[in-house]
Amino acid sequence: MTLQVDAPSEPSPAATAQAYRVTGRTVAARRIVGLLLVAVPLVWSWRQAMPDGSDVVNRSGLSLVADLFASMLHPQLSTEFLAVVLNAMVVTLVFAVLGTAGALAVGLAGGIVLSDAAWHSRPPRAVRALRLLIRSLLVAARSVHELVWALLFVSVLGLDPLAAVLAIAVPFGAQTAKIFGETLDGIPPGPLLTLRNAGARPIAALCYGLFPPAAPLLLSYTFYRFECAIRSAVVLGVVGLGGLGQELVVSLQSRNWDEVWTLVWAVLLLSAVVDLWNSRLRRDLAVVTCADWSGGQDAGARRSSRAEDRNARPATSRWARASAVVAVPGLLLAWLASEVSLSGLSSPRTRDLTVRLLDEMWPPALPNGGWPALAEAIPDTVAIAVLAMAVAVIITLVIGPWAGRARHGSFDERAHPTRHIPRKVAWWAARAVLLVLRSIPPTVWAVIALLALFPGVLPGALALGLYTGGILGRLVAEAWESVDTRPRDALRAIGTRGWLASVATIVPPSAHHLLTYTLYRFEICIRDTAVVGVVGAAGLGRLIAENLAAFRWPAVTTLLVASFALSVGSEAVGRRLRRALQGSAGEGRNRSGRARPPTSTTGGR
Amino acid sequence: MTASPPVIRLRGAGRRFGSHHAVADVDLTVYAGERVAVLGTSGAGKSTLLSMLNGSLSATSGEVEVLGANLANLSPSRLRAIQRRIGTVSQRLDLVNQVRVLHNVNAGRLGRWGSIRALAALAWPRADPTVTEALRRVGLPWAVHERTERLSGGERQRVAIARLLVQEPDLVVADEPVASLDPTRAAGILELLGVPGRPVTVVVSLHQPELARRHCTRAIGLRGGRLVFDLPVEHLDDRVLADLYTLT
Repeated sequence: MTLQVDAPSEPSPAATAQAYRVTGRTVAARRIVGLLLVAVPLVWSWRQAMPDGSDVVNRSGLSLVADLFASMLHPQLSTEFLAVVLNAMVVTLVFAVLGTAGALAVGLAGGIVLSDAAWHSRPPRAVRALRLLIRSLLVAARSVHELVWALLFVSVLGLDPLAAVLAIAVPFGAQTAKIFGETLDGIPPGPLLTLRNAGARPIAALCYGLFPPAAPLLLSYTFYRFECAIRSAVVLGVVGLGGLGQELVVSLQSRNWDEVWTLVWAVLLLSAVVDLWNSRLRRDLAVVTCADWSGGQDAGARRSSRAEDRNARPATSRWARASAVVAVPGLLLAWLASEVSLSGLSSPRTRDLTVRLLDEMWPPALPNGGWPALAEAIPDTVAIAVLAMAVAVIITLVIGPWAGRARHGSFDERAHPTRHIPRKVAWWAARAVLLVLRSIPPTVWAVIALLALFPGVLPGALALGLYTGGILGRLVAEAWESVDTRPRDALRAIGTRGWLASVATIVPPSAHHLLTYTLYRFEICIRDTAVVGVVGAAGLGRLIAENLAAFRWPAVTTLLVASFALSVGSEAVGRRLRRALQGSAGEGRNRSGRARPPTSTTGGR
Repeated sequence: MTASPPVIRLRGAGRRFGSHHAVADVDLTVYAGERVAVLGTSGAGKSTLLSMLNGSLSATSGEVEVLGANLANLSPSRLRAIQRRIGTVSQRLDLVNQVRVLHNVNAGRLGRWGSIRALAALAWPRADPTVTEALRRVGLPWAVHERTERLSGGERQRVAIARLLVQEPDLVVADEPVASLDPTRAAGILELLGVPGRPVTVVVSLHQPELARRHCTRAIGLRGGRLVFDLPVEHLDDRVLADLYTLT
């Protein structure tokens, strides 16, 4: 599982006669390929961001940024404005709650359809064809960013809060369906098979044998999605749907810095509360970290194995019970407060606009500027994502190590309680910085970056990088917390110096986590470039926003197809790379294992 | 009793995984009330054979007839109707740890219950006499409303048996049900597999020939997926066993 697969296997006496399976030369070659894979895109993106001879820094804007930070501690606190902020907070929260509820509905239905475990034997051909269709629809829904969904819904529904809710529910629902499907497939199949072998009906078998073990994981993921929905709901404000995002952009553009800071503190407050509540809940429910939810391919197995050896019992957790009690009335309250009504969906106007929209979107046409514009936007998009990842990785390397809770010895801690205070302060500080970075929507970072930088790849990359850094930092830190420390303790026990033992045993798996999550986040970053594009950075997102604003629907279709192709392509490359990282030893996932007689699935912890 | 049709009839039955023949060319007829021990080393094909008997694996060659029906090309609902009468126990227990014991015991009756009734029982748990009686017989009358994961390994083993008891199967297929138990426990579990007063047929794979001698009427030996002996347990002597467990 770790990078150590690259290391030449130690010549055990029995093996010396045989040839090495991995020679020193292959190791060197792999290292060079790996280095090139990192260096070439970076250099290329940098050149893309810094075209020769054009200015990058907008000197006149620097003072604006200075003003902005000068008023950091003097937020606008008039009662009038505070009422506005409070109202915006409620709107954002309501969008997030309703959007998550919608995503949960889509996710449950889709997850059952996508999961192999939920289907008895090989389903008939018609069902398989339908599953394939649903799967591809969900992939398409996932590859379009919430913000673009919002723009599309707004052009059909107008500035209806329903547009915001749907814009969250559709892509989140598709993502939830994928994760739910993987989670159901990751549950040890034994109980379900036993029920089926005893002749239970399909639905009853699922309800007794599959859903109970999956429930804590599904619930935990739903709350994680809610956390993401809060961030998205802030971003959605940018297109004018209301909430904290809209207020933020308005205040930024009118340069009311004191208002900006009030709003920023409000955003941070909201995210911090949801964040803390959530991580507590996740710990109680299933000991699943955000990292487990984001790991892609191999995460399914780890999720369920983690859930296996948990100590917490959902039934006894006060947090879990309180959350369940709050959820339903909260949902109803949000529904009432939002004035969201589904009638907008069936109104003749909506139908009219939808028909016209679909009519005009086909056949697709090139955007203004033709192929060259498209040929310029795509590399720009990739360059933004690459540079953003570089920024994010730097942030993670600098802050991440402090944000991982040190696990060496609760014993130690009890003996010397004061010695760990600086470490704890550093932990809280690092977590706070990461929270700030990821809570402020990338759009806002982009608007700030655009004060000081000319539009182009660089401000977009910087904005997206700060935001992604906040997310990546947390993911990696959580994964680092789960690194097995026993090998290090073993080295220490034989007299190795402390830091050396850590470098030898903690760094290789940690580097592996960082690489995996970086690749995974890169795929998302490609999609997220839409967010910074909307405020005018560069890339496909910018073109989409421009063409949407001008109602050039045929061009929008082309751009959507292009971004779809780009995200599918990057996902394919990412998956290939991650699999290569796992080495050939990586498990072929349970699809093939399911056909064989069930061997001990619970044995390997 | 010999007049009644056989519970199990295999004719040249085999199962192949790719090019590997896990079970090959097995002929076996078992009548109601027989208790058959399946012996053999790890990888001899015991699990595969048992999976073919409860319909979870189909044969790739030959015929598998269980409780009067050829298991190949049955419709799903016909297969379910047969499977309802076959009880399965394995070393892994395959209990749902996250729910109450009651639900795990009820799981044995899901085949007879309609979907609505099954869901209702999940939503409003109620211990009826069948469940209480089954749990009393395995010695866990106090555990009805306990969460399954809180029980010890041995207690969970008995919950799995209680599930088997409420299913009231005509045939019990048990895959190494006592592999990880101490001899006393193992004997207790094997006693419970047969329901007194009914001619339940049991096919059980075991690692200890001693248990086969004590609890079964007949023993079959598998080596490399092939049947190498089929004897009454009284004829199970050291020479036969030495042959079976010699690694080639």
